Amino acid sequence: MKEMTRLLLALTLIAVCAGFILSQVERATREPIKEQRRLQMLKALSAVLPPFDNSPDTDKVEIPDGLDKKGQPRMKTFYRARQGGELKGVAFKVIAPDGYSGNIEVMVGVDPQDLINGIAIVSHAETPGLGSKINEPAFKDQFKGKGLDNVDWRVKKDGGEFDQITGATISPRAVVGAVSKGLEFYRQHRAELTTDLGANQ
Amino acid sequence: MSLLKEFSKGLWKENAVFKLMLGMCPVLAVTTSAENGLGMGLATTFVLVCSNSVVALLRKLIPAGVRIPAFIVIIASFVTVVQLAMEAWVYDLYQALGIFIPLIVVNCLILGRAEAFASKNPLIPALADGLGMGLGFTLGLFILGTLREFFGSGAILGVNLLGSSYHPMLLMILPPGAFITLGLLLALIKRVTARS
Repeated sequence: MKEMTRLLLALTLIAVCAGFILSQVERATREPIKEQRRLQMLKALSAVLPPFDNSPDTDKVEIPDGLDKKGQPRMKTFYRARQGGELKGVAFKVIAPDGYSGNIEVMVGVDPQDLINGIAIVSHAETPGLGSKINEPAFKDQFKGKGLDNVDWRVKKDGGEFDQITGATISPRAVVGAVSKGLEFYRQHRAELTTDLGANQ
Repeated sequence: MSLLKEFSKGLWKENAVFKLMLGMCPVLAVTTSAENGLGMGLATTFVLVCSNSVVALLRKLIPAGVRIPAFIVIIASFVTVVQLAMEAWVYDLYQALGIFIPLIVVNCLILGRAEAFASKNPLIPALADGLGMGLGFTLGLFILGTLREFFGSGAILGVNLLGSSYHPMLLMILPPGAFITLGLLLALIKRVTARS
């Protein structure tokens, strides 16, 4: 019994120390991590939006899009870019669940004419050298100027107009699909995004 | 001089990748490029040196009966520290290594060194052992990553060497490429060492 107590005591002591140290590290890294995520977000937003002079990462509108597994409304966030108060573009993140490995997160920026200004791949786990080429300008630039009505939203292999990547059709197909779905959602809710901007419109 | 020996044995004679064949999960999974291999190797080295030191310091206090859980708690703590630090200060590398950072916890190389060496030796030799083993592991990952990146995408450390006319051997950066490269490397090493 005495041995048992010794074992318990030793392990508990180690676990308590570890917990304390981790809480300190977490506290020290909390702010830098938040800042890194914000910078990452801002980088993606600047890449897909026309020039702006506000901070779109805080000028946002949330619109519910269905319910998640827990029955809570799932919110979609739209980031608004303005210059001199005038709306220059809206950015939103779409998630392609059907990539080759894991979700592909794509930031999409549209101009006031509802045409795409640019897209950026925020995160992905596609095969390096193959699916990862969705992150190259050659692929991303095809989306510029495209809208729901001026292009067939499929990759060429499926009869559409978007170039797939040699050796990797799944990743581009997932991105194209997710972006077009995002555009549709954007079109349905376009009015809600600009209601509080009445004075500027 | 034995200190130097503790350090250098990990680099080649008992190299974790080529000789001990420990920690094969990260070896095969993250070596799609030289940079990923290097990053993973250095993160593992850091955890290994830290865990070896702490285990060596506490070796007389940790009862034999709970030594494995104690080691795991120590290792897991350091891995969490590495993960948080990487996310805070080297975000790009953090994104590249992704889910493989938490998996350092179950890298049997680290638990293996804690059990086989650090729990029986004082701090300084344990430190040398951890550093040597870790750098040897990094070397293995780097070699594997370099070869796979070179053949699989015609580049090393992201610098394109073979030009656009080179048709990449895609197989090399897919999972089978990891097994093939490692197998050929091991065969080569066996062949060279058997002669001498």
